[in-house]
Amino acid sequence: MKWRIVLGLLAVVVITGVGAYVAISEEARMAAFTEAYHARQIETGGALFEARCRTCHGPQGTGIEGVAPAINSPELFSGQRLQAIGFSGTMQDYLKGVISAGRPVPSAGTNYPQRMPAWGESYGGPLRDDQIDALVAFIMNWQGEAGPAATAPASEAVGTDIHVALPPGDAPAGAALADSLGCTGCHMLSTVGPGWMAQGQEPGIGSRAASRLEQADYTGEATSPEEYLVEAILQPQAYLVAGYESVPMPGNYGQQLTAQQLADLVAYLLSLH
Amino acid sequence: MALFRLHLPLLDEIKAKGVRRALTDKADDVVTRVTAGLNIREVRGVLRDDAPARPNPRLKPHAEGFWLHMKPTYYHNLVDGLYPTFRLGWLSTFFFAFEILTGVFLMFYYTPSPLVAYEDMLNLLSNVPFGRLMRDLHKLGAEVMVAVVALHMLRTFVTGSYKKPRQFTWATGVILLGVTVVLSFSGYLLPWDQLSLWAVTIGASMFEAIPPEVVGRAVNLIVRGAPEIGAGGLLRFYLLHIIGLPLVGILALGVHYYKVILHGHSLPPEAEEVGVDTAKRVPMDRRTYFMPQILTRELFYVAGLTAILVGAAAFFYHAPLEPHADTLVTPLHTTAPWYFLWVQGMLKLGDKVLWGLIVPGVMTGLLLVLPYIEVGPSRRYADRRVGLSIGALSVAVLAVLSYMGTPWYAVQTSADQEAIAELVPQTHPGPLRLAPWDDLVVGTYEAGQWQNAPNATLQELLRIFQEGVERVESPERTSPSGVIVIEDWQNGLRKITLRVLWTETATGRPGENSQSVYLHRDSGYGQGE
Repeated sequence: MKWRIVLGLLAVVVITGVGAYVAISEEARMAAFTEAYHARQIETGGALFEARCRTCHGPQGTGIEGVAPAINSPELFSGQRLQAIGFSGTMQDYLKGVISAGRPVPSAGTNYPQRMPAWGESYGGPLRDDQIDALVAFIMNWQGEAGPAATAPASEAVGTDIHVALPPGDAPAGAALADSLGCTGCHMLSTVGPGWMAQGQEPGIGSRAASRLEQADYTGEATSPEEYLVEAILQPQAYLVAGYESVPMPGNYGQQLTAQQLADLVAYLLSLH
Repeated sequence: MALFRLHLPLLDEIKAKGVRRALTDKADDVVTRVTAGLNIREVRGVLRDDAPARPNPRLKPHAEGFWLHMKPTYYHNLVDGLYPTFRLGWLSTFFFAFEILTGVFLMFYYTPSPLVAYEDMLNLLSNVPFGRLMRDLHKLGAEVMVAVVALHMLRTFVTGSYKKPRQFTWATGVILLGVTVVLSFSGYLLPWDQLSLWAVTIGASMFEAIPPEVVGRAVNLIVRGAPEIGAGGLLRFYLLHIIGLPLVGILALGVHYYKVILHGHSLPPEAEEVGVDTAKRVPMDRRTYFMPQILTRELFYVAGLTAILVGAAAFFYHAPLEPHADTLVTPLHTTAPWYFLWVQGMLKLGDKVLWGLIVPGVMTGLLLVLPYIEVGPSRRYADRRVGLSIGALSVAVLAVLSYMGTPWYAVQTSADQEAIAELVPQTHPGPLRLAPWDDLVVGTYEAGQWQNAPNATLQELLRIFQEGVERVESPERTSPSGVIVIEDWQNGLRKITLRVLWTETATGRPGENSQSVYLHRDSGYGQGE
């Protein structure tokens, strides 16, 4: 019986000791959990951004001209945009509000005629509050690395003439361009990746371009697959593939791309069969 | 004359006996009242294991106090050892109290609403001192308690202690087992994470199967509060967890304890004549008195067990917390809690009504009435070969059924999904998230070329991936290959894309399944959550 009393008291000492240890390390543990949870919010936000936002704001949030503006932009993180509209809350509040409620009315005087849908559950959207918070955490994580706003092409822009003579194109450079320009923001099919790849019974865009020219409903002026692709990039309204009439592609790539860049893109796309 | 007079008897006593004497007498008096009958000298005697005076003052607390009236004054020294009880009944009571205490702490930080429940969990972990410890203790205690209660019943069965006159004690015990299991299960839902939602969805879907359809639908609505678990369902499970079941538990526990006092602890089967119950007729020389032997032992157990549990929860065991509950995202493998795996296993045998409702219902019913239909008089092992064999067989069958309840048995998933899920499972961190972040060097890696990866972490991940990818090979799909692409995505954030490619035999075209995960440098997986 004596050892029971002794061991029992020892156990009480152990409990007290562990309790004290937990008490001492608790502050650091709570801070670590807070940090880890914030990091996981960023991860969750990344996945949500991929699923919900990239189609309009581009894979890296740098915006797609004519579709949706950049979120990953120094103008936003410097506070200029908040100042311009006189928003007095924090950046997080602003992002949360915009994501939740969307933009029911397109901002006047901008190049972005589309509305942004409401994403928050309380505004009829699909996302819960914690998911909106995760998106905000992800977007805020661009702060400090947001590059300079999109710059004009280094050399002269190519213009909108689809018959323009192009230099020889480099397909791998074109593939990289397709990503960096944010084309995959819209031209994305969830199952196989970019929409210009071969999928199911349908060949890649290189072969598709050739057969589109032959179609009875073709309305453009292109006479070769190469010209067809050039036309599709520079004058997207010239011919709209059935089913995509209502999705506007910006018509200003002629002002953005150099002849070399356009040639690279076309070379890349033609290589896909 | 004064309207009232302040009268302190202590002052009179000090006047009469002096300060020292009056205060010690007062202390003695207080101790006697608190212990319901033992003064300081007698308490000291108990702790020193002195021989009691005559008449034995240590019996008084049992007769006069509330708490000890639920404890026998002495035990037969044949039930004093580890065998035959293994202390399992006592342990069950200990855990019941332990769960109430830790549970009350958790209640202070919990709101039963899907809008905030999960946030409350995060708050508990990130902002409440001792929050994680209490949560871990509560969860650990709950899991152990289910096992302890089940083992207690198994022991009672094996020693034949359910037989006359303890039939009703057994029946209340079966009710307590049910209460314990449903308590544990209802607690599953409260954190409102993916684990909660899907474990409870599996469980609750059983009610929907109750025939006829009208009844099934109605019962389902009553249980879930809506066609799907939501705000109403969470509130129901919460109230069940914190009020309904504990209330039933306390009532059944009271009856159970009362019956134990009434009939005494059953002796080891071989110690009695067949058909005789001598538990209440303990010869003087075979008694182990509650005070001091059992009392000090139980206090020792409380201290020791609490130390073990606190130590385990502080350093080794952390209750899981999965991502926020999402009715639109079904994890690849969802399982019921381990103590319900046998039901899930039976469901794989076929009809939901037969295997999910009728068979478990009949089994529970049989358990409840066991002592009334199995009325053989002998408790001796040698006389109960059939009964014990059936018992052992049942345990084996439950074990096999539980195995069948796990995803390893008869679950059809596609190998390409499995290959990805093995690295990035939805229900726990998995090897990729646990890998050192800095080892995930940016680049594109072929799983088949895993030996060429730049470091051991990547090689191991790619090797696991390659093993999964090889299982994609089938008559329909040939030449599978796996690719892992790691990209820098943001400050401290990498995007990792797992891609499984194959060729469809029928069309000769390529097929693909890919999934991206984002990993942050500071996300610190593998700390239990």
